[in-house]
Amino acid sequence: MTTTTDPHGHEKLRGAEYVLGVLDAEQRREVERQLLDDPELAAAVEAWQERLAPLAEEIAATQPAAYVWPRILAELGLGGSVMARSAPEPSASGGLWNNLRLWHWIGIGASAVAAACVVMLVTLPRPMPTPTPVPTATTPTPPTTFMVAKIEQDNGVAGWTATMDVTHHRMILVPATPQAIASDRSTQLWLIPPGQKPVSVGVFIPDKANSMDLPIALVKQLSDKALLAVSVEPKGGSPTGQPTGPVIAKGSITGA
Amino acid sequence: MVQSPEAAIDREQLAQLLTLSGRGDEKAFAQLYERSSAKLYGVCLRMLRDRGEAEDTLQEIFTTVWRRASSFDASKASAMTWLITLSRNKSIDRLRKRHEAHGDDDMIDGLADDAPSPAAHAQTSQEHQQLEHCLDELENKHRDAVREAFFTGATYNELADRCAVPLGTMKSWIRRSLIKLRTCLER
Repeated sequence: MTTTTDPHGHEKLRGAEYVLGVLDAEQRREVERQLLDDPELAAAVEAWQERLAPLAEEIAATQPAAYVWPRILAELGLGGSVMARSAPEPSASGGLWNNLRLWHWIGIGASAVAAACVVMLVTLPRPMPTPTPVPTATTPTPPTTFMVAKIEQDNGVAGWTATMDVTHHRMILVPATPQAIASDRSTQLWLIPPGQKPVSVGVFIPDKANSMDLPIALVKQLSDKALLAVSVEPKGGSPTGQPTGPVIAKGSITGA
Repeated sequence: MVQSPEAAIDREQLAQLLTLSGRGDEKAFAQLYERSSAKLYGVCLRMLRDRGEAEDTLQEIFTTVWRRASSFDASKASAMTWLITLSRNKSIDRLRKRHEAHGDDDMIDGLADDAPSPAAHAQTSQEHQQLEHCLDELENKHRDAVREAFFTGATYNELADRCAVPLGTMKSWIRRSLIKLRTCLER
């Protein structure tokens, strides 16, 4: 463990205070600036991070909502065909944002930089009331609304997360646990409205994020009583319009 | 430091996923999320006590991980420490912003009971047990103040208010505690 003591045996307590989190916003920025050219302070901060981080073991892990991961991918422009990494950070030469050592340890808020690219999924999700079964021709445009389904395998492991943008008739399907299936097979997604036969949503790539259109007829069937299911079909999808292969994962839909 | 083989493998894998994420490996990034998001969300939720803000912060944490994981150095830190530190820093920054926006501390007065459950305690690492032992050597109210600071990200001022002591007293409690902790941990 790195430990730095000055001649008086008095380690820079500012670093400890910074790590513990008792400084106000202005003092925190000041420490972060000093870290850039004060190796002793940087070493103290590193040592205190190692010392105090174990306390976090007492904090219970809590599963975040299923829509957070698609939002992260959307903000970064990752997944599916969009493989490119997001735009590089602004390069204020020699500035705070480029200092690797600082980032190495502090990971301070990129909030200023993360002026988020506005992607459809970034909008805060709201729960959606169960749609009325008989839509009329004059149904008003609903507010932007998202629904989510965690599509789980039989063993309870999440296979995919589907986030449905009800307003824009789009769905993003993201693998939670990357899946490989035989190369002569396709995975197909089905919507199963309560008491009805499955309706095909489409064939998708199992181990990539997929962006799919949701025809209006399907959108109207989305409700918290409907299920999404994934079956393994012959290459290109089911020849019959109904699932023919094994259902490997399913999940119910919830308003986000 | 003694640790179970499982814990060692776990650490090793997490470090590898973080390193690969830094090289732009999307699969590793997805696995890293799968493996660590619940823990990091728990940290955000504990500090921010608001689901929506904790979700936004978790999103910020992972976009930062993707862009900055290349600066993670497995020879210098454990991946979990790196991720926890990032999460606490993001949460603290958000708390400070909230404070600026509202002007007033909206937290409940008095200290929360942050004692771990016996079961949780049994499962913690050697490092945690050692830290816990050193915290136990502090005076009760000093230990409570240190724990409150760590888990809620409160400033000196907020801590002084919550414990109804003058600011100077709170500063001296915390500073003396930090010095004692360091001495104890290096024994």
